[in-house]
Amino acid sequence: MPLILFFGVTILVLDSSFRDVSARALRDLLDAQMVALIASAEPQEDGVVAPVGRALEARLETPGSGLYAQIRLARSDNGWRSPSATGVFINFGVPLAPGLKRYHEDLLPDGSRVAILSRGISFEEERGGRQGLTFSVATSLNAYEQQLWSFRQRLFGWFLGLTLLLLATLGIVLRSVLAPVRRLESEINAVEEGERESLGEGYPRELTGVTANLNALLAGERKRVARYRDTLGNLAHSLKTPLAVMRSALSAERSKGDMTANGGVLDGEIDRMTTIIEHQLKRAAATGGALLGQAPVDVVAIAADLRGALLKVYGNKDLSIETAVTSDAQFVGDRADLTEVLGNLLDNACKWCRGRVRITAGADTQRPSRQRLRIAVEDDGPGISDSDRTRVFERGVRADEHVPGYGLGLAMVRDTVDLYGGTLTMSRSTLGGACITMFLPGR
Amino acid sequence: MRILIVEDEQTLLESLQSHFTEAGFTVDAAKDGEEGLFAGLEYPLDVAVIDLGLPKLPGLDVIRKLRGARKSYPILVLTARDRWQDKVEGLQAGADDYVAKPFHFEEVLARVQALLRRAGGWASPTLSCGPIVLDTRTQSVVVNSAPVELTTFEYRILEHLMLRAGEVISKSELTERLYDQDFERDSNVIEVFIGRLRRKLDPQDQLKPIETLRGRGYRFALARDPA
Repeated sequence: MPLILFFGVTILVLDSSFRDVSARALRDLLDAQMVALIASAEPQEDGVVAPVGRALEARLETPGSGLYAQIRLARSDNGWRSPSATGVFINFGVPLAPGLKRYHEDLLPDGSRVAILSRGISFEEERGGRQGLTFSVATSLNAYEQQLWSFRQRLFGWFLGLTLLLLATLGIVLRSVLAPVRRLESEINAVEEGERESLGEGYPRELTGVTANLNALLAGERKRVARYRDTLGNLAHSLKTPLAVMRSALSAERSKGDMTANGGVLDGEIDRMTTIIEHQLKRAAATGGALLGQAPVDVVAIAADLRGALLKVYGNKDLSIETAVTSDAQFVGDRADLTEVLGNLLDNACKWCRGRVRITAGADTQRPSRQRLRIAVEDDGPGISDSDRTRVFERGVRADEHVPGYGLGLAMVRDTVDLYGGTLTMSRSTLGGACITMFLPGR
Repeated sequence: MRILIVEDEQTLLESLQSHFTEAGFTVDAAKDGEEGLFAGLEYPLDVAVIDLGLPKLPGLDVIRKLRGARKSYPILVLTARDRWQDKVEGLQAGADDYVAKPFHFEEVLARVQALLRRAGGWASPTLSCGPIVLDTRTQSVVVNSAPVELTTFEYRILEHLMLRAGEVISKSELTERLYDQDFERDSNVIEVFIGRLRRKLDPQDQLKPIETLRGRGYRFALARDPA
């Protein structure tokens, strides 16, 4: 835009100065003709003043040549007109008093324009009197206008070419300068989409600082989450193993028959500690978000893995697990979280069903990406009664107060779904039992 | 039934060992992965219970190597890491079921018995073949609705034969699975127990539940009731 403004102003300035120069040249030409005309003018017998001799320019002799002249007496309408003006109606204007000068332009009937210079002169007559004469010289502006026109054409042509050239150069330069930035942008997008783990190499020196730091940040974040998970896992492990030892010691006493009342209390406390460890540590281990550079999780694979595992675990039940998971079912988040949520739901379904469990999943493109992945787990069991429905998922229900039979599983599912900003609803399945539907971040 | 227990926590190992022995199992115990793998490969086992967090060789690797060596007996995993991802991994490595720590022994026993039944093709904890019904939970046997008193050893032989009803089981296999490695093996003992079992289950010699196949072994001959 500033470029166009700059060129516009330049064109205007150039155009007006060219016009000034040409206009002055035109005046000079007219002045020269005027001087020649005055110099060659002699009074004639009939009282008319006319140029004499061959002093006149040839163009004044040629009709329609574009150069015209007139000498007019102040006292009468008589006067001399150059032969070139024959048949051309030119308004040379009113006579001028001696010493005056006038320049004007006139439009001829054929549409062309003429510039007219007139000058009033007091002429000495032989008889001793003086008479006022008005000398006029006119020139057609056709040539002048043509010149101006072709000048403008050339001017615009050149500037147009120059502008295009400049713009093209500017574009190319900008492109090559911005190329690494564009690459950075697309690589960051790819990292966000989970298509790549980190940014590539080979950036110009100015950007390597940024990319190296970003990479370090990505790697650090991944490592941090992994270490956090490991720590929690180890913590759970190192807490549960002594609990297992305590329990086995208790049951050894019980089998020996010297179980005291305290033994029962201890057993109950071990149960409570176990549920607390499970609930709290699992909840802490859920990330509730996608890490940058983490590929979306394919629900098909997880459903297939869990199906295989559960068919094995429930091997003594005549069980069929139907999976209707489309390949567009992609979870944006942590694989372990999804496995945990789905595992708990499927485990419950398998536990309560009579023989059929169904898992359906797909992308619901109508919904915002935060809730684009729809997963439903159904069974043909007794279902969950309305009064239990709210309690089963109730948040704030303490770990040791959960609805018996549904385990901590569902509370944990609810917590994780909440963490991802998803929704969870429970209804009756067409199979006859419970149907639990979740909406989770997808794409 | 011969069971292998691989667990690195000494107290737990001992407790499991004594519980399983009490429940009538022949127990092989190992306290790390390498020992466990050796026992799993060398001994004629019916079932294995393997902890996942083992020194020297992780439990998952032990399971993979056993399955790689075409050992097909059921494997129960004990684990303190009970996220579903860990469970799936264990089951995919070749385990058949898992129990999370800390466990009640009763649950471990129930899972092991269920695995054994499943391996023999039984769906329910009661094995019924016509008039003879064996309940693995109570370790009791009923013939024509009348309870029959069996010694632990008699019960173990009968359970072994009934779990794999219809299959021929050699005398040496029975010996191996019913005694642990230190026991002096004498195949005559088996013959004596089979004789006693026959008299207790079939005093009138009408049912003929246990067939002797000369030079090959024994077979529980009564057809399984449909589940």
